[in-house]
Amino acid sequence: MSELFFQQILNWITLGSVYALIAVGFSLLFGVLNIIHFSHGDVSLLAPFLALTVISTLGSMLGDLNSLSVFVLALLVAIAITGLIGVLLDLVVIQRFRKAPAMMALVATVALGIVLRELIRHLFPNGSNPHAFPRLVEGDVMVGSLSVPLFSLVVIAVSVLVVCALFFMLNSTRLGLHIKAVSQDRDAARLMAINPGRIFRATFFVASAIGAVGGLFFSSYAGMARFDFSIDVGLIGFSAAVVGGLGSMPGAIIGSLLIAGLDTFVQAVVPNGASYRLVFVFLLVIGVLVFRPAGLMGRTLVEKV
Amino acid sequence: MTRSEHSARAASNPVAGMATVVVVQLAGAVFLRQFLLIEDWRLVIGLLLIFGAALVLMERVPSLEARVEAAFARHSRLALLLGMAIVLGFPFVLEGNTYALHLCVISMLYAVLALALNFQLGSANIPNFATGASYGIGAYASALLALNFGVSFWVALPVAAVVATIFGFLLGIPSMRTRDSYLALVTIAFGVVIHQLLNNLEFTGGPNGLVGIPVPELFGHSFGDPLVIFGQELPSQANFYYLSALLVLISIVFARRLHDSRVGLAWNALRTDELAARCQGINVTWYKVLAFAVDAFLAGFAGTIYAFYVGFISPDNFTFLVSVTIMTMVIAGGMDNILGVIVGAFLLTLLPEKLRAFSDYRILFFGVTVIAFLMIRPQGLFPQRLRRYGD
Amino acid sequence: MALSASSPVVLEGENLTMRFGGLVAMAEVAFTLKRGEILGIIGPNGAGKSTLLNIITGIYIPSSGEVRLEGERLNGVPAHKIVARGIARTFQSSRLFGDLSVLDNVVIGRHTHTKAGVFDAIFRRGRAKAELEAAAAHAETLLKSVSRGLHEQRHRPAGELAQADRRRLEIARALATDPKVLLLDEPSSGMDDADTDALMDDIRAVCAQRPDLALMIIEHDMRLVASLPHRVMVLDYGQKLADGPYEEIRKIPRVQEAYLGRKATQHAGA
Ligand SMILES: Nc1ncnc2c1ncn2[C@@H]1O[C@H](COP(=O)(O)OP(=O)(O)O)[C@@H](O)[C@H]1O
Ligand SMILES: [Mg+2]
Repeated sequence: MSELFFQQILNWITLGSVYALIAVGFSLLFGVLNIIHFSHGDVSLLAPFLALTVISTLGSMLGDLNSLSVFVLALLVAIAITGLIGVLLDLVVIQRFRKAPAMMALVATVALGIVLRELIRHLFPNGSNPHAFPRLVEGDVMVGSLSVPLFSLVVIAVSVLVVCALFFMLNSTRLGLHIKAVSQDRDAARLMAINPGRIFRATFFVASAIGAVGGLFFSSYAGMARFDFSIDVGLIGFSAAVVGGLGSMPGAIIGSLLIAGLDTFVQAVVPNGASYRLVFVFLLVIGVLVFRPAGLMGRTLVEKV
Repeated sequence: MTRSEHSARAASNPVAGMATVVVVQLAGAVFLRQFLLIEDWRLVIGLLLIFGAALVLMERVPSLEARVEAAFARHSRLALLLGMAIVLGFPFVLEGNTYALHLCVISMLYAVLALALNFQLGSANIPNFATGASYGIGAYASALLALNFGVSFWVALPVAAVVATIFGFLLGIPSMRTRDSYLALVTIAFGVVIHQLLNNLEFTGGPNGLVGIPVPELFGHSFGDPLVIFGQELPSQANFYYLSALLVLISIVFARRLHDSRVGLAWNALRTDELAARCQGINVTWYKVLAFAVDAFLAGFAGTIYAFYVGFISPDNFTFLVSVTIMTMVIAGGMDNILGVIVGAFLLTLLPEKLRAFSDYRILFFGVTVIAFLMIRPQGLFPQRLRRYGD
Repeated sequence: MALSASSPVVLEGENLTMRFGGLVAMAEVAFTLKRGEILGIIGPNGAGKSTLLNIITGIYIPSSGEVRLEGERLNGVPAHKIVARGIARTFQSSRLFGDLSVLDNVVIGRHTHTKAGVFDAIFRRGRAKAELEAAAAHAETLLKSVSRGLHEQRHRPAGELAQADRRRLEIARALATDPKVLLLDEPSSGMDDADTDALMDDIRAVCAQRPDLALMIIEHDMRLVASLPHRVMVLDYGQKLADGPYEEIRKIPRVQEAYLGRKATQHAGA
């Protein structure tokens, strides 16, 4: 009983960490750009496919190598490329909508997400089908009398590290201060000789790279990579950011844990819960939006007239 | 003031005006017929080029556009009668091609859906990603009524529309408190929730959906039978062709009347500036909810016709991607322009069917189309027009 | 434009306080406005002038205090109903419906005086159409009376208008609601002297045609403040510094320091 309960708790935090890695990017991008980058989830879930590509290319080029080092290298490359893809999307598409009505950027990025998914489907060999994706680490460790999957520990530890690094970056580095300045007042920042375009690109890189970590973890968690994962995961990541309050980093984390908690709970408790999990998650989202439109941690801003 | 000059000229020469109307409408009909019947993809591309050239010509020579517009405004009755005659006669010139007729039916249903979404996206700028869900609610509601209670199509049709409208109101309620991205998320979430429920509930048949939806009858004539008019036999699809055409007509009337009314103005006002609209006395919340309801109402109608036309429905007919497809039609055709939205619906329904090689990539194509239009021509093929009063 | 001392108060505010987080944008401000009166509001940037207008029109909800229109509390009344009760306004950064025609902008101002809903629009077309056309006719007359130049441009998109005409159109749109109280937020901002003079004449004409209309006008242009309002209220840091005829308030040293500055002090000396 308590064994099972413990497993569920662990599962919850693992899933919550994965969602948080994606939600944080939504929130960060919104804070800085003031638009929703709806395709952020799709960008994040490019990473597993990029990693698979790297693995197979390296495998064919170098023959059999120490598989763990190839794997880790592939992950790092995938993270970097995903970050660059985020920047590229900004340069090619999203940038054009900085001054347009919010609705246009929104619809454009929704479409962009579809394009990314379809590109995977058509360009990746056999892209419509699921592809096996390896676990990062196998095995369990014993904590007292409980056996804990190493994978969960790694996911949670890395997520905590990444989020701490992000907080440190935002609060204590020059780049972070500039990002904050731009998100508070773009024009004032420009007067302080900060180039907002550069800050936008940096933000896109950071958000997409962190999202990539989340995407890799998710595929590893699920044991496979699918082109349409990003519909669910992207929506959940975005929902988590919204529930927490867009623009608030702690909010994104709380929102992720909340949604992951509901997700785990429903699957464990409700009969046939796995098929209904999104129903519950989105009812929560709608409920939060109706009663706290700015999210749990978001500040309600009154439009200045 | 070239515009008034030209309208003056068109007015002074009614024959020329009437000829313009006749030529434009017939040309449109011939174009559509060829497009439907042609098989060779090269010819399809050729037709598209002609269409593009016509649009560019209109745009480059504003006087031509103004003249056509003035002619249609002046001879609106002729345009209407001729238009109806063309729609009625169209199945007769399709050489009994059932596939072409089928495509017409589907295009017209999408035209209704696009007109429905246009109330929100076009008139009020509310990004609603749940039109596909409303379409599904209409389809399931009527199919369930018919299958479980033996309700006839003609009763199920309005009832399903009312059911969809009630859901539309429900969906609209969060819009009282939320805006833009948040509201978009609510609509996406709503669509996913509906899809998952349809997929999992017992009484909706789960992933297999509902099968054996009975064929409608009218005065003893079954819609499954060929239609015989003036001794000419039309394939059975013609029944649904005329039914959908009627629905398109009704939707156009709705759309026009609402657009030219105080309601349409209020939607346009809150589209540009919600706060300024409030300060003119517009109850913004109410008008937003209303847009949701009107959208769901028309989508519900379309859903019923679809369900009875195809005879079986499953949750996968009503996914998020259907909503995005409808949105593409509105954006590409021209937001808040009725003609544009209809053209958008036809074009985007027919293109993937006609360019077979391409139909694998249709979703990709829709995505790229939306982005391209928003980046390059956000007003769509047919931009919205300013209203005129009295004249 | 004589204002009789016995004119009744139409609009009054009491004890109005507005906080944004830690910032107090308005502290315990009270004001009154009589029927037919023109009240000027001046004060440096960030003094809380626009905030006052936003509170009155229901855009901001005050942290405390109340606003009364003809004795009835407006607290809690939504913005669109406040318009229906007779308070109309313009915005500091003009907020027109730029993609609609000039005429449509004014017709939208008639919203509270028309009724047709979805049902009427579809099934009782004649009635809805007649109503809207009457509103359009009304709007045309109004446009003509506010500015001939604007009337001539009535079929252009409002977004294409020149700055001065945008301001006029905003005033016309506000007047279309048939207000008892009209609130203007820096109507002359971004205009040169000639445009400001023309605008002043237009406002005078508007008031002359509507002797009962009460007007609150936020202004920076001292020529306008000196000549148009019956009374001037000075705000600074969310507080009311002074309230009285221009001739009196401009002599108060604190006001000169706070707002009028050196330039105005020279004027006063001249
Ligand atoms: N919606 C808002 N949110 C936060 N602060 C606001 C808001 N509106 C106004 N303020 C602040 O209140 C103060 C008064 O602003 P305002 O009334 O616009 O001044 P002004 O006298 O120039 O019109 C300013 O410090 C402004 O920054
Ligand atoms: Mg101000």
